[in-house]
Amino acid sequence: MRRVGLLLLTALLATAGFTPAAQNAARVVETLPARPDSLKFAVLGDNGTGAKPQYDVGQQMAAARMTFPFDMVLMLGDNMYGRQEAQDFVTKFERPYAALLQAGVLFYATLGNHDNQNNRFYKAFNMGGERYFTFVKKNVRFFVLDTNQLDPKQRAWFDETLQRSDDQWRICFFHHPIYSDGGRHGSDVALRVVLEPLLIKYGVDVVFSGHDHMYERLKPQKGITYFVSGSGGELRRGDVRPSGLTAAYYDQDQSFMLVEVAGDEMFFEAVARSGAKVDSGVIRREPVGARDSR
Amino acid sequence: MKPHTLAAHPVAVERRHRSAAARLFDLVVHRCLALPIGVAIGLLWANTAPEPYFIVAHSLAFPVNEIGMALFVGLIMQEIVEAVMPGGALHSWRRWSLPLLAAVGGIAGSASVYLAYVRGHYEEVLEAGWPIASAIDIAAAYYVLKWILPRSGALPFVLLLAIATNLFGMLLVAPQYPTAVVHGGGLGVMLVALGIAGAMRALRVRSFWPYLVVCGTLSWVAFYREGLHPAFALVPIVPFLPHEPRRLDLLADPPDDDAVHHFEHEWNTLVQGILFLFGLVNGGVLLRGYDTGTWALLLGALVGRPLGILIAVGAAVAAGWHLPRGLKWRQLLVAALACSSGFTFALFFATGILSTGPLLAQLTIGALGTAAGSLLTIGAARLFRVGRFAR
Repeated sequence: MRRVGLLLLTALLATAGFTPAAQNAARVVETLPARPDSLKFAVLGDNGTGAKPQYDVGQQMAAARMTFPFDMVLMLGDNMYGRQEAQDFVTKFERPYAALLQAGVLFYATLGNHDNQNNRFYKAFNMGGERYFTFVKKNVRFFVLDTNQLDPKQRAWFDETLQRSDDQWRICFFHHPIYSDGGRHGSDVALRVVLEPLLIKYGVDVVFSGHDHMYERLKPQKGITYFVSGSGGELRRGDVRPSGLTAAYYDQDQSFMLVEVAGDEMFFEAVARSGAKVDSGVIRREPVGARDSR
Repeated sequence: MKPHTLAAHPVAVERRHRSAAARLFDLVVHRCLALPIGVAIGLLWANTAPEPYFIVAHSLAFPVNEIGMALFVGLIMQEIVEAVMPGGALHSWRRWSLPLLAAVGGIAGSASVYLAYVRGHYEEVLEAGWPIASAIDIAAAYYVLKWILPRSGALPFVLLLAIATNLFGMLLVAPQYPTAVVHGGGLGVMLVALGIAGAMRALRVRSFWPYLVVCGTLSWVAFYREGLHPAFALVPIVPFLPHEPRRLDLLADPPDDDAVHHFEHEWNTLVQGILFLFGLVNGGVLLRGYDTGTWALLLGALVGRPLGILIAVGAAVAAGWHLPRGLKWRQLLVAALACSSGFTFALFFATGILSTGPLLAQLTIGALGTAAGSLLTIGAARLFRVGRFAR
């Protein structure tokens, strides 16, 4: 009964543009600062359905870009569901994001469990034919992993690449969340015990994952902020089981994220398919000394 | 006068308890129960305290899967060599032809159902797991069939089928070992290992341990350096070991009547300890980690394999082969179902092919789930009144 009441309240708040997520944000910022010299990007996961909600999200992203001119999108895996032939790349990727692609926005993808491994050769995913890779944008180095299988070679590469990185921000993205309150999948603890020591050791600041079809921001774990953004096309309504780890969540509609890294601050917004802001906040990067003492 | 009972005497109580513990130990060792017990503990631990479990499992994975399991694979090879050598229970190449065909059918059946399911769900990333669906748990097949059809031609038929299937699986798994770096230079080390093993054999060294410790270690280094799964390191060494033909079935406990069988007893006891750890380290999965791979594996093993075996045997009989003596189609159906459990070997192949991650988790759940094949076999035997259910 109490749960039904909560769900009704959530639906009402969502209609009005407010959600538990927005209420729980650590430090809510009204708008992203959109500073001219900052790094701006969008984040999207589990999107490649080819169905109407994916197209709606694509439109909403294009609309958001009018006021927040991001020039890249991180795709968190399951970029393509079902059949993955040439025509599917059109209906499940090129058409839904046509406006963004025409504006020169670059998409950087990671592989999910539904993605054909050969999709890493698809030019518009900017994976350079690799399952795992790294790239730098302004003061941020991104590390992209294939968590379907964390083989020793990939682990050694990750360790080595993190060690070499002297970039101001270190952001990782991969498909399977190591922290999540999703009811269907939840935290992948086996991956966590392998990855987390490296993330901590080398001072990774933020991790984005998908797989659970909802939006969730977790309270910083050992100094690292984790986001699950897996409802860019798929949605598992009401799937979040909030716990002590939950900082904010939204599981009533499809959503995506807008992120801005400016100096030592990372601003973020989670936006629903309707355009409603469902979470926002700012993460301040920990100074190197504080990180070392974690 | 009150009768003097053994139970009342403290020394007798101690003896009886010790003997009960010894009996329990024997049961665990000789009925291959160490691995299921390890799996049960791993499952319980992982699903109640996942983080400590996975930390322990991760830290033990290499010594157990890559080093300890070499002794398991070596023992299996030793038993196979002794069973098929002259005087062994499975000797006679004429007996091999039908089980070999059945093995090919079983592999084709399990692989095609597995791959069809995975492709039907557009999860090509799981395709690499098809050898896991082909694995047969030799112990499960042996014990369930021995219970249902104790003195039937089905037993050697199934054992040969399972051996052929798993040898094929091992050939596929060994080169897929995921390693960070291939160092090379393994061939030279292997030649030294084989040279020492050959010299020991020429000098008639009867103890197993020098072969296992010296040559086995060198062979392990050679496999590891070449990026081959080091759990297979004893395979090239086993032919040099002293052998005595096994007149009993593969898993039947041979009498401790000579030095060779005595060493095999010691070896088996050690292997059961390793299998317990193997089950503990690899069997603990979060049960909600099931997914497409789980269902694909279950369908491949429980449906595809028995079907493939029956079709292959049917085709062979149509082409003029004969069913083993005393084996009718109903018994064959039960025998084919007895091969559906992959458990130990499926788990072993899974850890050999896949690295840490959700794919391994979902296939592990499937591998454990194939244990249901034994229940299906008993159900089918009851339904068709086969063996002990015929009365």
